[in-house]
Amino acid sequence: MIGNYFKTTLRSLLKNRAYSFLNIAGLATGIACASLIFLWVQDELTFNHNFEKRDNLYTIYENQTYEGKMSTFHATPGPMAKAIKAEIPEIKNIARTGGTNNLLFSLGEKTINEEGSYADPEIFSMLKMPFVHGDITNAFTELHSVVINATMARKFFGDSDPVGKTLKINNEQDYTVTGVFTDLPKNSTFKFQWLAPLANIDHKMPWMMEWSANWTLTYVELVSSANVNGVNKKLQHYLASKNNGTKTECFLFGMNDWNLHDNFVNGKMDGGRIEYVRLFSIIAFIILIIACINFMNLSTARSEKRAKEVGVRKVMGAGKGKLIAQFIGEAIVMSFIAVFIAIGFMYIILPSFNNLVQKELSINISEPLHLTYLVSIGVVTGLLAGSYPAFYLSSFNPIAVLKSMKLPTGAGFIREGLVVIQFSISIILIVGTIIIYQQIQHVKNRDLGYNKNDLIYVSTQGKLSAHFESIYQQLKQSGVVEDASLSDFPVLQIWKNTDNYSWEGKQPAQNPLISFENVSSQFVRTMGMKLASGRDFYPNSSLDSNSVIINEALAKQMGKQGHVGAIIRNVGNKSYEIAGIVKDFLYNDMYAVSAPLVLYNNPTGTDVLSIHIKRNVNLQDALVKIGAIVKANNPGYPFEYKFMDDDFDQIFKTEALTGKLAGVFASLAILISCLGLFGLAAYTAERRIKEIGIRKVLGASVAGLTGLLSKDFLKLVGISCLIAFPVAWWALNNWLQNYQYRITINWMVFAAAGILAMLIALATVSFQAVKAALSNPVNSLRNE
Amino acid sequence: MLSLQHISKYYQVSGLKNFVLNDLSLEIDQGEFVSIMGPSGSGKSSLLNIIGMLDEPSEGYHYFAGHAVHQLKEKQRSALYKQYIGFVFQAYHLIDELTVYENIETPLIYQDFKGAERKAMVADILDRFNIVGKKDLFPAQLSGGQQQLVGIARALIAKPKLLLADEPTGNLNSKQGEEIMELFRKLNKEDGVTIIQVTHSEKNAEYGSRIINLLDGKIESSKQL
Ligand SMILES: Nc1ncnc2c1ncn2[C@@H]1O[C@H](COP(=O)(O)OP(=O)(O)O)[C@@H](O)[C@H]1O
Ligand SMILES: [Mg+2]
Repeated sequence: MIGNYFKTTLRSLLKNRAYSFLNIAGLATGIACASLIFLWVQDELTFNHNFEKRDNLYTIYENQTYEGKMSTFHATPGPMAKAIKAEIPEIKNIARTGGTNNLLFSLGEKTINEEGSYADPEIFSMLKMPFVHGDITNAFTELHSVVINATMARKFFGDSDPVGKTLKINNEQDYTVTGVFTDLPKNSTFKFQWLAPLANIDHKMPWMMEWSANWTLTYVELVSSANVNGVNKKLQHYLASKNNGTKTECFLFGMNDWNLHDNFVNGKMDGGRIEYVRLFSIIAFIILIIACINFMNLSTARSEKRAKEVGVRKVMGAGKGKLIAQFIGEAIVMSFIAVFIAIGFMYIILPSFNNLVQKELSINISEPLHLTYLVSIGVVTGLLAGSYPAFYLSSFNPIAVLKSMKLPTGAGFIREGLVVIQFSISIILIVGTIIIYQQIQHVKNRDLGYNKNDLIYVSTQGKLSAHFESIYQQLKQSGVVEDASLSDFPVLQIWKNTDNYSWEGKQPAQNPLISFENVSSQFVRTMGMKLASGRDFYPNSSLDSNSVIINEALAKQMGKQGHVGAIIRNVGNKSYEIAGIVKDFLYNDMYAVSAPLVLYNNPTGTDVLSIHIKRNVNLQDALVKIGAIVKANNPGYPFEYKFMDDDFDQIFKTEALTGKLAGVFASLAILISCLGLFGLAAYTAERRIKEIGIRKVLGASVAGLTGLLSKDFLKLVGISCLIAFPVAWWALNNWLQNYQYRITINWMVFAAAGILAMLIALATVSFQAVKAALSNPVNSLRNE
Repeated sequence: MLSLQHISKYYQVSGLKNFVLNDLSLEIDQGEFVSIMGPSGSGKSSLLNIIGMLDEPSEGYHYFAGHAVHQLKEKQRSALYKQYIGFVFQAYHLIDELTVYENIETPLIYQDFKGAERKAMVADILDRFNIVGKKDLFPAQLSGGQQQLVGIARALIAKPKLLLADEPTGNLNSKQGEEIMELFRKLNKEDGVTIIQVTHSEKNAEYGSRIINLLDGKIESSKQL
């Protein structure tokens, strides 16, 4: 029996090649596209799954209160780990890291900057890191030991076992390689290429031992039986006892939430990447549904041609059940053909998709999860797409069908409804693409308060900072540099902050978090910032050691004291005179207004050298000249620079990706919908061929007939607009609420999306309509 | 074999009952060969469809092989139908996507015959109808007469007791028509198949053992030959 069905299916597919192509291509595109998204989703959902103990691993976060609102931070005091390990029995293991460091490693002539961390040795067993070489238990018995990952080992030592060999760090200290671990997967929170004992930097500075200084990241492994809420209770006010009554609270943040739930609002978990995972999953399903709708629509349209077959089969004794089984079976055959084609598509598209989403996703058919997915998607889309045509076809009264060779009408309405759904979704996606793009551009074109273009920065390794004066002179003489300066951070991200500033008239309840940064005297000029009042720093920083420049936001906070010449005091109650007020500029949060900030004229110990290249010089030449100067003054270190505007673009990575994907999905949704529309138009034209013939004989023009045939479809697109516009407005208005600095939605966007959809639909439909209108009426009338 | 009592069939057209069959009663015995004649629109096809259980009467009683058809559920009716009845159409109604062989085989599939059995039965009937050489052709590759032959072979493949034929020769020339009639006669005489055919041709009607004339949904005359 199945053989008999397959024969009719395959022969009828081959007989109607164009139809089959539209049907299968649409479905394959939908499946490929949805599957790529699901690959991405899988990657996001399995973040950190390489760590076996992930269910018991946590990191400690702090909620600090400023201006009555809680802000969440990752850094913790250095002594905390040891203390809580001793006091809280549920803690099985605890390890700290010093965050991420980019250090220069050298072996002979070979020098490479590598990112890694200083960490406590317990980290190895907590993360259960597999070692290729060396011994996990004795890795950190010596202070100057380092474990490196396989990639880094290969770079320095080729394929040989490097254990026992030495690498020089920062041209200063030799470290012995004590182990090589397998590279961490890309979808893991930890990105370190190397680990060295935290003891190398711990206790180096007196403040590192203080309970009031947050600088380590603390990782905790609980015993499996531990009650997390219980441990959190103990941690909540733990710091108050150590740090004279601080209001700062601590809590455990579970590894399983690190990737997807990393956003905190007023101390509470509030979304994060999970929102994008949800959004994209929904989009994937929508695309699948659009593709299925196509399939249903084209199948029911074509079914009118198969009316006779259904009638005959019924007269031959086929029951309803058997016919339903036949048509669903056919749909499943088609959907599996589509699945195979989709797999082919995916192999072709995957590299560019990986490039787009910055991941290394791969399809692995032999993996049970992927195989199950592919099989079930074939079955489910087959069922979904085949069920309506199946029930529709099998319900015909055989005599009526055989007598007229036509089907009872009624499917038309449902078909039109499905087209409306498809186009509504497409229009929503078009509007979404445009508005996301506008919002990103809106923020990108925002006046930052400084000039991010032609601005590069390098980190001040080795003697860079110490030799700044001579470097500066040479840079200025090179003729390619506008200005240069030192600072703690690149200007986009200023991560030093405190609420311990005071001034005359400051209210006890007033404790805004104030950022501060040490800079060299050229900073304001180099960045192209503007002073609202007062003066810039003196070139000689020692003459300026009691002066600060604040921003307008802080001046506003200080109220009456927010003027040049006023006094502001820091933690040690040291007084500074406000020498100048710089106009607000944006850092950290590009969507918000700028936060209060203090600049010190104090270049010692700064980590970043920013160089503003002259506008009209050749960038490549300039970089060569600058590189030569920097290297000459800092021998032994490579010249590695970053462009500030690249960093700036990086900030919008997620939004830009969302925008790009929305664009891709919108195009696909339109494409698939048009495939369906094309098929439907062909079908309508075919069904009305006799009417067209008669009208032509009666004198109708080609243009008139084209209009007649296209009109109904355009009406459907019109209805889709009416449905799509409010939904799109609502969804995007909601999305925009996430951003303080945002566009207002313009009605023009809706008009543009509507017109675009109309034009595309018209182009699709009119092709068929014109073809039908041009056909010779004698042929069509004779055939009837 | 079958008995229709006070059968009526009507369609509601703007509230009015439009009678196609009007209080019609008819008995047909096993082994009869009945020809139904009458002007176009007199209800011949409707009568045949009701006898064949493809359609239901609006009123009346319908007995078939000892069953009260008017009381049966759809499933039971279809089982009865599959077991007893074969249908031949004026327009042949072969499935275009299937070959001659596959078209003939289709009813067996729906009646759950095993593969080997089906093979034997189809081979047998192909042989009997002298169309073995055509078995791999598609309907479009056959002449009208050949197509109707396939249609009849398909109707007979499951060995029905009753063959219903609605203008089986309507699309054929008179020579082809005669061949089909000879075949019917042989089936009726030698295999004992009861046949009811609708025809416009006096000559073809006379192959039967009884001629029934329909007019306006009623039996105008019935003549035993
Ligand atoms: N579905 C229907 N709705 C309304 N009238 C119908 C329908 N089917 C058949 N008829 C009418 O029933 C009458 C008899 O039809 P039919 O049995 O096909 O006649 P015959 O086969 O004798 O030419 C015709 O007048 C036809 O118009
Ligand atoms: Mg008729």
